[in-house]
Amino acid sequence: MKTLVISNVVNNHINPSLYNLLGAANILSAPVDVITFGHNLQNISNEIAKLSDVNQVLSIDNPTLNNLLVENIANQLAEICKNYTHILIASDSFGKNLLPRIAGILEIGQISEVVSIISPNLFKKFIYAGNVLVEIESLEDTKLLSIRTNNFEANKSISDVICPITEIKYTNPISDKIKYISNNVVDKSVDLSSAKIVVSGGISLGSRESFDSLIRPLAQKLNAAVGATRAAVEAGYANNDTQVGQTGVNVAPELYLAVGLSGAVQHIAGMKDSKTVIAINTDGHAAIFEHADYGIVGDLFEIVPQLIEKL
Amino acid sequence: MIKIMVGAKRVVDANVKVRVKNDYSDVDIEHSKMSLNPFDENAIEEAVKLKQQGIVAEIVAVSIGNDKCSDTLRTALARGCDRAIFVNMDNHKVEPIMVAKIFKQLVAMENPDIIFLGKQAIDDDANQVGQMLAGMLNYPQGTFVSHVNVVDNKATINREIENGTETLEITLPAVLTADLHLNEPRFIKLPDLMMAKKKPIHTITLEELNIKFKPSTRLIKAIDGEIKKQCMMLNNFDELISTIRESI
Ligand SMILES: Cc1cc2nc3c(=O)[nH]c(=O)nc-3n(C[C@H](O)[C@H](O)[C@H](O)COP(=O)(O)OP(=O)(O)OC[C@H]3O[C@@H](n4cnc5c(N)ncnc54)[C@H](O)[C@@H]3O)c2cc1C
Ligand SMILES: Nc1ncnc2c1ncn2[C@@H]1O[C@H](COP(=O)(O)O)[C@@H](O)[C@H]1O
Repeated sequence: MKTLVISNVVNNHINPSLYNLLGAANILSAPVDVITFGHNLQNISNEIAKLSDVNQVLSIDNPTLNNLLVENIANQLAEICKNYTHILIASDSFGKNLLPRIAGILEIGQISEVVSIISPNLFKKFIYAGNVLVEIESLEDTKLLSIRTNNFEANKSISDVICPITEIKYTNPISDKIKYISNNVVDKSVDLSSAKIVVSGGISLGSRESFDSLIRPLAQKLNAAVGATRAAVEAGYANNDTQVGQTGVNVAPELYLAVGLSGAVQHIAGMKDSKTVIAINTDGHAAIFEHADYGIVGDLFEIVPQLIEKL
Repeated sequence: MIKIMVGAKRVVDANVKVRVKNDYSDVDIEHSKMSLNPFDENAIEEAVKLKQQGIVAEIVAVSIGNDKCSDTLRTALARGCDRAIFVNMDNHKVEPIMVAKIFKQLVAMENPDIIFLGKQAIDDDANQVGQMLAGMLNYPQGTFVSHVNVVDNKATINREIENGTETLEITLPAVLTADLHLNEPRFIKLPDLMMAKKKPIHTITLEELNIKFKPSTRLIKAIDGEIKKQCMMLNNFDELISTIRESI
C-alpha cells in the first residue's frame, strides 16, 4: 500500500487542507507521498518536506501551472497515480474539478466526499443531502478518494528528518482548447469552509441592504465568516460563494449562528458538523431548532441590531 | 449551428426525505416521488436558451437507468429537448464511471459539440460524471458553470469556485456542467407536454454500446444520517448573548 496526497498551492502557500489530508492519510498506515504543482514551488516543497509522516514530496514546477487548468495536468497526474493504492484530494472546487477527470482518464471509479476511513477498502460518505450515511467498499485496485477535510483532524506536526523532494519534469501536453481569461475572486478576511465561527442568514432578511447591515456587521464583530441559504443567494442578498449546503460550501465551525433560516435538509447538509449551533427564528416550529443546541424565538430585526451593539 | 447532448438523470425528488431500509441494506425509495435531477433542469434550460438564440440546431437528452426513465425523458422533451436516448440498465445500480463510459459511446455515435450535464446528481451527490467524461474524451471541461456564452466554436463560461468565479474560454467540443445558479428553469405548460409525446425516444442496451457492466463499489450498509439535537430554548436576549459569549 502507498498513498498519494494531491495538494494544490493557494496564493503561494500550502493549501491548509493538506494538514487534514495528512490526518486522513495517517489512518491508512501506509507511506504517504505528497504531490504539488505550480510555479516557484521550492519554499513550499521544503515546508511540506518538514511535515512528519510525509515520505516524499513530489513537485512539478512550471510557469504554465500558474493559473491551473486541469486540462494541463490531469494526464500526467493520472500516470503518477498508477504507482499508488490510495489517492487523496480535498473535496473543494479544485479537487472536485480534478480528481474525476483523473478517474475518467484511468477509467476507474471514485468515491466523493469521504467523511470517514474505516479500513483501506471501506469508507463512509453521505448521500441524499446528508439524509443517509453509507458505508461503501471500493472494488477498485486504486482508490480515488475526495476527502471532506472538515471531518479529519489536521496533522501539522513537524519532523526532525526532512524527507526527500523529487522534482518531476512537466510533461503534460498543454491544451490549446482552453484558455484562462480572468477571475473575480475576493480575498475574504475569514475563509468560510474552515472558519471557526459562521454567521448565516436566510431569505427572511428581505433585502441585500438588510443582509449587509445585519449579517455582515454581526459576523465582523465575531470575527466570523458569512454564510447564506440558497434562497438568500437566489434573491441576490448574498453572493453565490457564501451558500452553505448540499450544493454549496460545507462548514464545521465551533459556532454556527443561524439567523432567519428554516433549516431545510439541503442547508443542514452543509453545516451539520458544526459544534454549537444557535438559531434565531420567529417560528418556534422551524426545523432549524431540531439541529440547534440553543434557540431563541424572535424577530431577527430586533435581535441582531442589539447583538451588534452589545457584543 | 451546434448540437448539444444533455444528461437527464431520474432521481428521488428534492422534497422527499429518504429513509433507509429496516435491515440497513440500502435506502428505501420504492414509493418515492421521482423527478428530473434539478441540475439537469438547469443544463437543459441553458441548451434551450441557446437554441432560441439560433446557436443550437438540436438537443438530445440522455437518461440511463430502468424503464421508468422514459417519464424523466418526457419531462426533458417537454422542457425543449428535440429527441431522447434511453440506455436500459435494467436493475443494475448506475455509478458515475459507468455513466461516463456510456456517454463516451453515445458521443462517438452522435458527435455533439457540447455535452451539458448537471454539476451533481442529488441522490448520490457524486459530482463526477462530467469531469470523467471530459477526461476520457480528452475534451476541455467547464464545470460548475453559472454563465455561458457561445460564439462560433467557442464557449466563454464563468465557473463557481471558492470566494468567487473564474472565466475560461473553451473551444468546442467540450463538456459543461451546470450549477443551480446558471438560470431559472421555466415552468412546463400543457402544450409542451403534449408536444413531448410526439418526440422520439430511442432505447439502447449496454450490449449495443459494447459496454460490460462492472461495479466500482459495493454498498455495505446505509444508516440514517440525520442528527437531531436537543435544543435548549432561550427565554430572552440576555440569555442569548451570554450563550454566544460562552460558545466563542
Ligand atoms: C437541488 C437543491 C439543492 C439545494 N441546495 C441548497 C444549499 O446548498 N443550501 C441551502 O441553503 N439551500 C439549498 N436548497 C434550498 C433549500 O431547499 C431551501 O429552499 C432553502 O435552504 C431555504 O432558505 P431559507 O431558510 O433562507 O428560507 P425559508 O425556508 O423560507 O426560511 C425562512 C425562515 O425565516 C424565518 N423568519 C421569517 N422572518 C423572520 C424574522 N423577522 N426573524 C427571524 N426569522 C424569520 C421563517 O420562520 C423561516 O423559518 C436546495 C434546494 C434544492 C432543490
Ligand atoms: N443515470 C444517468 N442518466 C443520465 N445522466 C446522468 C446519469 N447519472 C449522471 N448523469 C449526468 O451527470 C451529472 C452529474 O452526476 P454525478 O456525477 O453522478 O453527480 C448529472 O447531473 C447528469 O447530467
